[in-house]
Amino acid sequence: MREQQARFEELVLPHLDAAYRLARLLVKRDEDAQDIVQEAYIKALKAFEGFRGGNARAWILMIVRNTAYTWLKKHHADHNVIPFDEAVHQPPTEESLSESSYEDRLRQFREALARLPVEFREILVLRDIEGWSYKELASALKLPAGTVMSRLNRARQHLREEIAKIQLRESK
Amino acid sequence: MKCEESHHFIDTYLDGELDFAQQVELEQHLANCPSCQSLLEERRAFRAFFVAAVNEYKAPAQLEAKVLAAVRREPAKERFSFFRQPWIYATAVVAISVCLALRILFPDAEKEFSREAVLLHSRSLSTSHLVDVASPNPVVVKPWLTARLDFAPPLVGSPAAGFSLVGGRVAEIENRSVAALVYKHDNDVVSLFCWPPDKEHLAASERSIDGYRVSTWSNGQCNYVLVSKLSDQAMHDFTDSFRVQIQSGAYL
Repeated sequence: MREQQARFEELVLPHLDAAYRLARLLVKRDEDAQDIVQEAYIKALKAFEGFRGGNARAWILMIVRNTAYTWLKKHHADHNVIPFDEAVHQPPTEESLSESSYEDRLRQFREALARLPVEFREILVLRDIEGWSYKELASALKLPAGTVMSRLNRARQHLREEIAKIQLRESK
Repeated sequence: MKCEESHHFIDTYLDGELDFAQQVELEQHLANCPSCQSLLEERRAFRAFFVAAVNEYKAPAQLEAKVLAAVRREPAKERFSFFRQPWIYATAVVAISVCLALRILFPDAEKEFSREAVLLHSRSLSTSHLVDVASPNPVVVKPWLTARLDFAPPLVGSPAAGFSLVGGRVAEIENRSVAALVYKHDNDVVSLFCWPPDKEHLAASERSIDGYRVSTWSNGQCNYVLVSKLSDQAMHDFTDSFRVQIQSGAYL
């Protein structure tokens, strides 16, 4: 049992950043994301016996995802509203309005991202950050193979539109 | 490829998910279309921004400690170990005692049947009364026996290589009419007694009684007792392929 615990820590703990990032994108708020990661890790430990090697990162990410979805359902939390997030709620300063700095653009991205439906956020992070193939996305998200490409296209389109809206608003 | 199409495929291209033909087509188009080329660069930059923006979400420093503490508080689910359960041993001791008690009160049924079968077999040899119906053909033997018994014994003409049916007769074991099927293997005579299990199914057993080898088994439809002076090898040939033929329905 000790070895199992040690093996769990060795295999799964290194993916904490990825787990948090996904949770943060799905539930948006930092504290909620931390709770979800914690809950997911406890679940993972209990299920670790059933983990027969393979991709530990993908495995923990799917547990995080499921935990986040349960949480979202329980809290009816996904209204695609702009979350209360310090980074987002800082009113743009004079300088940032005059020129879109690199930092501003990153902030705009995050803000726009937060407005997307959760399914879009999820597929974008798994594809562009985690680098999953369409095949992996289809099987993990239980999507028909053809849906992955169209969902990704729509997600990116949506994100571009949201960013454009934010930029337009901020340039006024 | 037209620009419209190329716009549709650019992200998939960047994902590395176009099939080869589409990829070649798109690349040809890109090489000749500066506007699509610049769209490609724009999309590439967009991704870079996306990655940078999302990567700023880093687990807070205290999260690892929190998770680690939570995980260590929560012991990994211990694999359910059958042999680590104390009640298993208690149950086993009780079960074994019950078995021993039953054995003493009710002696080994297989042994009893085996003894009787050996007596019947040796008597039939000494009196040269092997069979009442003599035929190597199950089609002849089966109806004869079925008419004189309250069940239809399964008839296998040649259970294994080297064995041939001599015939059958009706015998009595434990006050019950049973089918006695007689086979020959070289000069060895083999008696196979069979009857439907009324009360008990015979367990698989082998023993030697008075110089005979006796094997018992049951398949649910019939109890079997085989008596012979065969070598163990030949006896197992017989019992194994007999079982297989019964199981696969290759009998009359």
